[in-house]
Amino acid sequence: MRGPSLALSPRAANRVRFAAILGVLGPGLVSGFADNDAGGIATYSVVGVKFGYELLWVLLATQIALFFTQEVGARLGLATGQGLTGLVRERFGVRWVFFVTVTMLIANMGSIVAEFAGTAAALSLFGVPPAVSALVSASAVVLLLARGSFARVQYLFVAVGIGVSIAYFASALLARPDWGHAAASFVPHGSLSGAYWLAVVATVGTTITPWGQAFIQSYCADKRLGPEDLMGERLDVGLGSLLANLIGGFVIVACAATLYSQSGTINTGDANAVSEIARALSPLAGEGATILFAIGLLAASFLGLGVVPLTSAYAACEAFGWETGVDWRWHDAPAFYGLLVFFIAVAAFFVLIPGLPLVEVMVLAQVVNALLLPFVLVFVMILASDRTLMGPLASGRLLRSIGWAVTGLLALLAPVLAVTTIFGAG
Amino acid sequence: MLYLSQAIGRPVRDQAGEAIGKVADLIVAIGDRYPPVTGLVVRTNGREIFLHWQAVASLDATGATLGTTAIDIGRFQQRPNEIRLKLDLMDRQIVDIDGRKVVRVNDLRLDEVEGALHLVAVDVGPSGLLRRLGIEGPWRTIARGLHREVPERYIDWEDVDPVERSIASVKLRVPHKGLAELHPADLATIIDQLSRNDRVGLIESLDDEAAADAIGEMQPEAQVDILEDLEPERAADILEEMDPDDAADLVADLPEETRVEILGLMEKDEAEEVQELMTYAEDTAGGIMTTEFVAVPASLTAAQTIDRLRELEPDAETIYYVYVTDSQGRLVGVLSLRDLIVAKPGTRISSFMYDEPVAVRTGASQEEVTEIVARYNLLAVPVVDDEGRLEGIVTVDDAMDTLLPHPSGRFARIFGRGPGATDR
Repeated sequence: MRGPSLALSPRAANRVRFAAILGVLGPGLVSGFADNDAGGIATYSVVGVKFGYELLWVLLATQIALFFTQEVGARLGLATGQGLTGLVRERFGVRWVFFVTVTMLIANMGSIVAEFAGTAAALSLFGVPPAVSALVSASAVVLLLARGSFARVQYLFVAVGIGVSIAYFASALLARPDWGHAAASFVPHGSLSGAYWLAVVATVGTTITPWGQAFIQSYCADKRLGPEDLMGERLDVGLGSLLANLIGGFVIVACAATLYSQSGTINTGDANAVSEIARALSPLAGEGATILFAIGLLAASFLGLGVVPLTSAYAACEAFGWETGVDWRWHDAPAFYGLLVFFIAVAAFFVLIPGLPLVEVMVLAQVVNALLLPFVLVFVMILASDRTLMGPLASGRLLRSIGWAVTGLLALLAPVLAVTTIFGAG
Repeated sequence: MLYLSQAIGRPVRDQAGEAIGKVADLIVAIGDRYPPVTGLVVRTNGREIFLHWQAVASLDATGATLGTTAIDIGRFQQRPNEIRLKLDLMDRQIVDIDGRKVVRVNDLRLDEVEGALHLVAVDVGPSGLLRRLGIEGPWRTIARGLHREVPERYIDWEDVDPVERSIASVKLRVPHKGLAELHPADLATIIDQLSRNDRVGLIESLDDEAAADAIGEMQPEAQVDILEDLEPERAADILEEMDPDDAADLVADLPEETRVEILGLMEKDEAEEVQELMTYAEDTAGGIMTTEFVAVPASLTAAQTIDRLRELEPDAETIYYVYVTDSQGRLVGVLSLRDLIVAKPGTRISSFMYDEPVAVRTGASQEEVTEIVARYNLLAVPVVDDEGRLEGIVTVDDAMDTLLPHPSGRFARIFGRGPGATDR
C-alpha cells in the first residue's frame, strides 16, 4: 500500500503545529499577489471603464472559486509532496500528462505574453517603444532569475504592488463612487451581450489560472509542508485570495467612478489605451497618475514574469522527468533553464509585433487562461479525491461537490461566451 | 526484446485464438539480478485475474497466448517479493545510482534470458517518451530523413533503486547494495530531491549508520523534518550513530516535546553527551565541536599510544591527531598520526609531542575557528574551557560548513522559505 498517512508517524500527523502556522504563510499570499499581474490590472481597468460597477458580482464569485481551487492545490502539495504534473504522470500516464502540460503551457504562454505587454504598455507611457521594453525586460528577468537575486527584488515588486493598491483604494474613495450602485452590483446578474461575457471570462481568467494551480501545489511541496500544516495553509490561501480580489475590486471601482462616464470615447483596442486607463489614479495623484500607474504596472508585470515562466519550466520538467533536482546551477539543469529562457524569449518576441493593441492583448490572454482552466482542474479534482494518494487529506463529500461545481461552472463559460458572441446583442 | 508499454492493453488469446481479455500488468519476482516475469494480470469482464507464467505460451507486442486449456481464475494475490511493473514502477520516480539523481521511468525493457522473460533495464530516455506517446515510429522516420539520432537512455535494473517505499522495501530486502553504496553526501542530495513521504521511506530502508551519515550531510531544516516524521525509536537509533556535535545541533532544533521524547529513548551516555553539547551556543566552537577525540597521558610511549588507537577505533575524521592531557584533563600537547608512526616504538610521546598546541575556547565564534583551521592548515582544532581543559575538537568539515552555499528547492529559493526556516 502506498499512501502518505503511512509515511508519517501518527504523532507527526496528528499534531497541528500552531507555531508553524505563521511560518506557513506564504504560498497563498505570493500566489494571490501574483494574480494581480499585468493582465489583472489591465482586465480590472477595462472592466471598470466599460461596464462600471456591473461586474463586481463576478469578483465575489471568483473569490469563492479561487479559495476552493487554491485550497485543493495546496492540499495536494501537502499530502503528496509532488507537483501537479508529477501526480498526473503517475496516475494517468504519459499521454494525459502531455495533454495537461501542453494545455497549461499554452495558457501560461498567454500569461507571459501579457506580462511583456504590461512592461511595454507601462514603459510606453514614458515614450519607450514596445520592442525596446520587451527586449530589456526579458534580459532583466533572465538575469535576475539566473543570478538568484529574484528572491530579493520580489519584495520590491510586492511592495510597489501594495503601494499602488493603496493608491487605487484612495483614488476609489476620492472619486466619490456611487456606493449604493456598487453594492447592488454584487448581486449576480447576466446579460446576452458577447462583450459582457468576454469581460466576465477575462475577470475569471485573471484570477483563477492553470499556473496558479501548479504554483500553489509546487510551492507547498517545495517548502516541505506536510499534513500538519493544513490549517495554516488554508488561512494563507484564504488571505491570499481575499487580498487578490479586494485589490481587483478597488481597481474596478476606481476606474468605474472616474472613467465609466467617458467610456464611449475610450477605445481599449487602441495602441495608447493605456494612458486613458492610467487616469483612474488621477483623483489621488492628479497629473502624476500616469507615472504612478506605469510604476505599478511595471512591478506587477515583473512579479508575473518571475512566477509564470518558473512555474511552466517546473511543470514541464516534472511531467517528463527532466532534472528536477534542487541544484541551482545552469549546467546541472539544462532542460529547466532552457525552457525558462525559451518561454521568456518567445513571449518577448510576440510583443515585437508592431502596433499591437497592448491592453487588448493583456485581456485576451486572460480569456485564454479561463477557457483552458477546466481541462487542468478536472485532473486536480480527480487527484484530490483519491484516498490512496491523499490519505486523510482527500476531499470529503462537501469539498468534492464544491470542487466539481466550480469546475463545471468554469467549463460552462466557453459555450456561454460562444453563444453570446455569435447570437448575442452587441 | 519487449517494452512493457508494447504489451499493456494487448489481447490475451486462448489456444483457439479467441480473445479472453487484455494484458493489464506484468508481475516480476524481485531477488535475482534481473527479475523474472512470474505472471500476467489479465483484465477480463471488468475484473483482474492472475495468470501464472507457466500458463502463458507466448508474450510479445501482439499480445499473449495461453499454453494450457484450463486456467485458474482466482483473484490476484501478490506475494511479498513480487511487484507489478505498471502499477508499481511505470511513470514513478527511481534513483539512478550511477548518475546519483532521481529520474522518472518512461518504459521498462524486458529481455529473453535463458528461455525466460526478465526485467533488464529502465528506459529513462526520450525514445521511451515518444513510444508512450505513440509517435516513436513516425518520429524515427523523420529523424532518419534529417540524419539525426533519436536519443535513447537506459539504466540497467541493477543500477536503480525504487523510491516508492512499498517497492523499496521489497528490493532492499534482498542482498543488494544500491543506495547504501553511495557516498553520504550524494545520498543526501538524492534525498533532497524527493518528496517528504518518499524521503522518510528511503531513510527507513537504510541501516542506522548509513541513515545517520546521510542525515548528517543535510540542511538543518531538512534534518528536523525527517527526524520528526520518523518513529521516535528509529530517530533515537539514528541520532546515536551521528557525530555528537551534529546530533546536538539537530536535537536543539527539534520542538521541545519531540526532543524530550527522543532523548529519553537514546542510550544514556549518548543522550548525556548530546545534552552537554546543547548547552553551548550553536555558532560557537562549543556548539560545533564533537566530543569524540583521542586523548592520552604524556607518560605513554609511541607504541602504547598506537595500541590505544587500535582499541578505540576512532572515526576517520578524528584519528589524525592524538591529544595529550595532564591529570586534570588540561591540554598539554598534540601528536599527529605521522609523528606516531615515524617515532621509535619505545620513545615517550612527551619527548616528541608538539607542546604548544593551537586551541580555541568553547566560546570562540565559528568564524574564528574557521580562520584558525585555515591559517594553521589543521584537520581539527582542539576546544578548551577557561581552565584549559580539553572539551572537544572541531574537525575541518564542521569548521568549513559556514563557507558553503545552502541548496534549497527552486520555489523556496525564489520566493522564500518563510520565517520558520533557519539559514545558518
